[in-house]
Amino acid sequence: MNEERYILFDQYLQDELTPDAKNDFEKQLLQDSEFASEFETFKNVQFQLANKFEFEQEREAFKENLTNISNQHFNKKTKVIGLKPWYLAVAASVAVLFGLFFFNYNQNPVYADYNDPEQANFAERGTVNEALKQAEEAYNAKRYNKAIPFFETVLQKQKTAEIQFFYGVSLLEESHYLKAEAVFNELKTGTSVYKEKAIWYLALSKLKQKDYDGCKQILQTISEDYEDYDQVQELLNQLD
Amino acid sequence: MDKNKVHPDQIYIDGLAQNDSAIIQSIYKKFVPKVVMFIMNNSGDRDQAQDVVQEILILLFNQAKVNSLRLTCPFDAYFFLLCKRKWLNELKKTSNKGVTIIEDAVSMNESAHELIGQTEEFDEKQQLFDTMFQKLGDKCQELLKLSFEIKSMEEVAEKLNVTYGYVRKKKSLCVGQLTQWIQEAKNFKSLKNN
Repeated sequence: MNEERYILFDQYLQDELTPDAKNDFEKQLLQDSEFASEFETFKNVQFQLANKFEFEQEREAFKENLTNISNQHFNKKTKVIGLKPWYLAVAASVAVLFGLFFFNYNQNPVYADYNDPEQANFAERGTVNEALKQAEEAYNAKRYNKAIPFFETVLQKQKTAEIQFFYGVSLLEESHYLKAEAVFNELKTGTSVYKEKAIWYLALSKLKQKDYDGCKQILQTISEDYEDYDQVQELLNQLD
Repeated sequence: MDKNKVHPDQIYIDGLAQNDSAIIQSIYKKFVPKVVMFIMNNSGDRDQAQDVVQEILILLFNQAKVNSLRLTCPFDAYFFLLCKRKWLNELKKTSNKGVTIIEDAVSMNESAHELIGQTEEFDEKQQLFDTMFQKLGDKCQELLKLSFEIKSMEEVAEKLNVTYGYVRKKKSLCVGQLTQWIQEAKNFKSLKNN
């Protein structure tokens, strides 16, 4: 190991060299690429050391918190569901508020109150599929009747849960109940992330058809793990 | 406008850096299921998926902490591709049996590509550094830890009951040792790539 060199690096960084020595050092940096590259690495090591020790406690805290959240997320399915008390309280008050809100206006909940379609976002990932792009544009502009044929073209070649889901929503928006429900039923039996969402939309389909009992029955089959379960709860309360 | 504009999804990066539980939970809720699906469809199980996700999030935390992570593309694509690439690398490492990789239509845009490159480079550097740090002797490790925690070398000398001159020299040499190893690894790598 070139001990003198590393001592020199450190002295330079601490600004402890005489003006002459400093000049020489800087000259060598310009002329000797191997010297310069090693000095870069030396500075980088200092930086990484500072980073390592400066954030050590924060990093440990982060890892611990992350592990907890991760375990909660991954063990959810096997655990007996125990909602946190505050969560229940919030859900209950939201439900009550909604109940009060609708009490005087509407006897029955309506589809439009719960239908809150998300934006489709296929093209962002650089797809070159022209039909898919057009489907997305039409869908996001809420021109569902235009989107449907595009989705159908796409699905003939490329069948993903995501595309199926948005196709289903478009069908439902246009009140093609049978076709929409067929799509959602297919998603329901799959294992995609749209599984629970598809069940929710099956319920919404019944709601749109004013089949309140059917809607309720489907809602009751949705797992409490569903990410928008608070909406399910609200609607269930509405239907009671 | 310019492609270097920070994407609104930067909130996820900042939330990680601040150890914000709500943000971390929403990442799990919104973005992790897709990763789990991908890994399970590609010869992995839930536990492995959990590990990959965790490693990537720690990597993002580290990178965010030194402020070198400015998201210029949606978090969704960035995060998914990082996890995917990590998993595929892991598969390559552990198995020589045929790996079925279902290439999806998901390709990435340029800024995502660039950003992923940066993050992977950061990861590589960090791993190299960690490996080399572990190779150092206990004395060097302790001295470096103290000098970066306490910062004043006078105090470090006092604490270790040695002279100021000694700790200064020792510190330079410990950093030097790391420098030498890392430099060698770099040279080796560029040799290999040429």
